[in-house]
Amino acid sequence: MRETVLEILTEIRKDIDFENATRLIDDNILASLDIVAIVGEFNDEFDVEISVEDLVPENFNSVDAMVELITRAQE
Amino acid sequence: MAFTSLYFLIFAAVVVCVYYLIPSGFKWVWLLAASYAFYLLSSPKTFLFVLLTTAVTFLGGLYIGKCNREHRDYLEQHKAELSREDKKTLKAQSQKRKRRMVVLILALDFGILAVLKYFRYYLQTMGLFDTGTLLIPLGISFYTFQSAAYIFDLYRNKTEPDRNIGKFAMFTAFFPQIVQGPISRYDQLAAQLYEGHRFEWRNLTHGAELILWGFFKKLVIADRAAVLVNEVFGNHTDYTGGAVFMALLFYMIQIYADFSGGIDIARGLAQCMGINMTHNFIRPYFAHDLSEFWNRWHVSLSHWCRDYIFYPVAMSKFFGRMGKDLRNVLGDRVGKLFPVIIAQFCTFLTIGLWHGAAFKYIAYGLYNGIVIVLGLLLEPVFSRILEALHINRESVTWKGFRMVRTFFVVLVGRVFPKAVSFTAAINMFFSMFRLNKGVPFSETMMSFGLTQIDYLILIVCCAVWLLISIYEEKTARKEGGAGEEAFRSMLDKKPLPLRWGLLLLMLAAVLVLGIYGPGYDVSAFIYRGF
Repeated sequence: MRETVLEILTEIRKDIDFENATRLIDDNILASLDIVAIVGEFNDEFDVEISVEDLVPENFNSVDAMVELITRAQE
Repeated sequence: MAFTSLYFLIFAAVVVCVYYLIPSGFKWVWLLAASYAFYLLSSPKTFLFVLLTTAVTFLGGLYIGKCNREHRDYLEQHKAELSREDKKTLKAQSQKRKRRMVVLILALDFGILAVLKYFRYYLQTMGLFDTGTLLIPLGISFYTFQSAAYIFDLYRNKTEPDRNIGKFAMFTAFFPQIVQGPISRYDQLAAQLYEGHRFEWRNLTHGAELILWGFFKKLVIADRAAVLVNEVFGNHTDYTGGAVFMALLFYMIQIYADFSGGIDIARGLAQCMGINMTHNFIRPYFAHDLSEFWNRWHVSLSHWCRDYIFYPVAMSKFFGRMGKDLRNVLGDRVGKLFPVIIAQFCTFLTIGLWHGAAFKYIAYGLYNGIVIVLGLLLEPVFSRILEALHINRESVTWKGFRMVRTFFVVLVGRVFPKAVSFTAAINMFFSMFRLNKGVPFSETMMSFGLTQIDYLILIVCCAVWLLISIYEEKTARKEGGAGEEAFRSMLDKKPLPLRWGLLLLMLAAVLVLGIYGPGYDVSAFIYRGF
């Protein structure tokens, strides 16, 4: 799953080194438009329903946090 | 009681001193007393409205918290026997219950705001309600939006409800922030307010430095730039060409210095008591595009709109489906962007209306929305042009160009909220391109009420501000975060005489170069009326 998440992220923002980033939201690296696009892709790809309630910085600051969010949403 | 009055400084000094003298457990009680005393001294006739919003939000919050708890407990107890579908159904049922309460609370909170701020004129003229005797409560937009954020966060299960009405009342009315923000989030601020902070020299000095810096920006820069701005905007039919452009340029300086200066005073005062309020400005004029500008300007309002308007609209199933249907008509890209476009317009309409109900404010919101949406839609075209011209997006020149371009896009937009009306704004915009023949520009510049010395002071002070901002921006890029403490932290490491010398110089600048009226009175903050 991690690889697919990375692929999606890189497709949306080619300029970011997602592998090493841990403060994507806290440092304003990802914009709100990116978040909407990322969530849309996650929902389609992993058949989950990430909602507005899940849009907190902790869930999007790093690739691992996003993987964890998807895993939770799949349960 | 204005932030810039001597009374306020004495009041603030007493509050801070007593705060550190009383036992930890009572510090929040003292802050509540101080906050209510401040409100009663500033706007006594509207105090009841603050109490009403506080009570409604507090009680509604308790109910939503109860729904969350019951839902959580049920899931916990029946974990083994519930399928994924059952969980979904239960969640939907709980949300329905909560939603009813959210609607009720927001109708009351925003209803008060709407009647007192937006519809008073219409209700009065239609003879439905006599609003003539009602004053607009001090900081009503700020405390209403802050209370709404608390309710939304409870609805989203992001936070637990406050069970102490006294403490919650203090969160709603905390005196440094109630006048002009920032709009704080419950999970970011409440615990800090309730915790009794112990005295720390660093908090006091950093807080005091921020207050002094706020006074400098407000009194030396904003109020000086305001002289030219008020003259041109107040008599806009008398001016054309460079004079109108200069008025807009000076307004860019004035509004930033005024608003961020007020926020610095508020945040500095809170910091003196060990309370870190959220930042509201991250060097907005360094933004590379308008979206980024709104991520740096009035951040607490922009983020409020992002979290509670933009995301829910952009991610709503309704607009998502609509976008999918439109893909056949408008193409894949536009169809995909459709929910985002609608969300952008809703966001900027709210930002426009935040400033007031007049059409010029709606036009201001729409202007920003249209520029951002056009940027989104035309992005592939711009990319092709850049490739054809072999422009390197990472080059300093290109980034510098984008920064200057964004500055002017913002500058043009500001004509709407500042002009007396929408028509005046349009007239002023076009008059910029009509040259004022016959009168030399230098002569016009001397006719606004500012002397050569005033212009010199403005240039030097803005240059100092710019240099500090560049330092903070570089530090932020290197170390992450907002970089707003960077300069003060750097000062900490300097020898004591140099540090004190700079602070005394700043104090002297405020006292000697500040714009004061009779009896050392100063003009009110622009955002104080919100």
